Amino acid sequence: MWDHLVAEAPRFFTYWNLRFFVLAGLTTVALSFTGCILGGIAGLALGTVRLTRSKPLSPVRVIAILYTEIFRRVPFLVTLMLVFFAFQLSGVELPLFAIGAISVFLIASAFLAEIIRGGMLAVHRNQWDAAETMNFTLIQALRHVVLPQAWRIILPPAFGFFVLFIKDTALASQIGVVELTYAGKVLNNRGFSATLSFGTILVFYFIISYPLTRLGAYLEARLASTRNPRA
Amino acid sequence: MNYTLQFGQVLPYLGYLVGGALLSLQIAFLAFCGGLVIGTGGAAIRVFGPWPLRRLVDVYVGFFVNTPQLVQIYFLYFALPDAGVLLSSYQAVLIGMTLNAGAYLTEIQRAGFLSRRQTEMEAAEVLGFSRWQQIRHVILPHIARVLFPPLANQYILMTLGTSMAAVFGVEELTGRAFNINAQTFRSIEIFSLTAVLYVAITFAATIILALLGRFAFRVKMRIV
Repeated sequence: MWDHLVAEAPRFFTYWNLRFFVLAGLTTVALSFTGCILGGIAGLALGTVRLTRSKPLSPVRVIAILYTEIFRRVPFLVTLMLVFFAFQLSGVELPLFAIGAISVFLIASAFLAEIIRGGMLAVHRNQWDAAETMNFTLIQALRHVVLPQAWRIILPPAFGFFVLFIKDTALASQIGVVELTYAGKVLNNRGFSATLSFGTILVFYFIISYPLTRLGAYLEARLASTRNPRA
Repeated sequence: MNYTLQFGQVLPYLGYLVGGALLSLQIAFLAFCGGLVIGTGGAAIRVFGPWPLRRLVDVYVGFFVNTPQLVQIYFLYFALPDAGVLLSSYQAVLIGMTLNAGAYLTEIQRAGFLSRRQTEMEAAEVLGFSRWQQIRHVILPHIARVLFPPLANQYILMTLGTSMAAVFGVEELTGRAFNINAQTFRSIEIFSLTAVLYVAITFAATIILALLGRFAFRVKMRIV
């Protein structure tokens, strides 16, 4: 088997194949990045809504709770299929990348809403009370008091989620988005051995994800140190 | 757009889908148990083991945590036959998920092992506890309380992760949804029903785990 791989390698690692992989890798990152940035914005809104206490807003709160609970409990593959078929049936023509990014967005907004809300609630009660005493509105309190303290708590897990999703977007290959996994399938279908095609893909994912994981660990250590010194 | 939702055509398949959901739960449970064994061993080596073994665990965790589970299973299913190892799709999915879970659970449990305090053990020693009693009455209850919530969370994520078995033709919940889709073409109805079932099984799992946590380890967990 080893001889096979060595014989095949020069045909496999050509300039054009590697170029294809790098572009596909960029798509993988872009897919997760777009979805998570938009998801972060929506998550901030959802998290904020759940902190409101006024009576007229209670139906909005219920919707926000339902949304986060449901989309955190549906697998990415199923969400992907739902979005894919929903757009197909509605007749709206969208590029496959957009469909993938929308699916990432739906899941990411639910998970990030929980992360952001958790971070906001982790800010000490006294800070909230002080803001209220100063007659700040909820938005003002968040903007001037809570978020400047909460972002340190929010950023590491949110970044971790982004890195996690870079790997989960592998499923987007199922609807035909040309990202890394799809690139591996294409080359495998073109007759290259699965060991070489998927092995290379694994290496590419590792090259993308490992530095980001290390950066996440650094962020966690760096940002947590002032609040919660390690014994 | 002139498409009318017709759930009536899909509902007869509900029993078939529920059967798939049971298989999903089975895969998640087996992979989690396997992962827990690997993870406990891995974390113990990572924290207490000698240097070369520690590095080995680091490489294992680093590789499986930084590559997608889907591609790992692809590799097991399509590339191992090159080396003469033939796995059925169910075996490939189960092995892939177990190895992947093992890596994540090593990471989680390592944090738990590190959370034990020297003072705690010294206090136990002062009280005249033997080594085994220290582990049994002081360290294990402590570690279990710290570890239970993240482990429960990982279990839920793994239940969702089983859906990628469908890609390899395993007939679990998502796989059966694909089958019905191919027969009836009622895609939206089928996949929304599937989504509802996933919400139901993970919600049931959350409730069971929260109860288990409360009564066995005295951990308070939020359900919603």
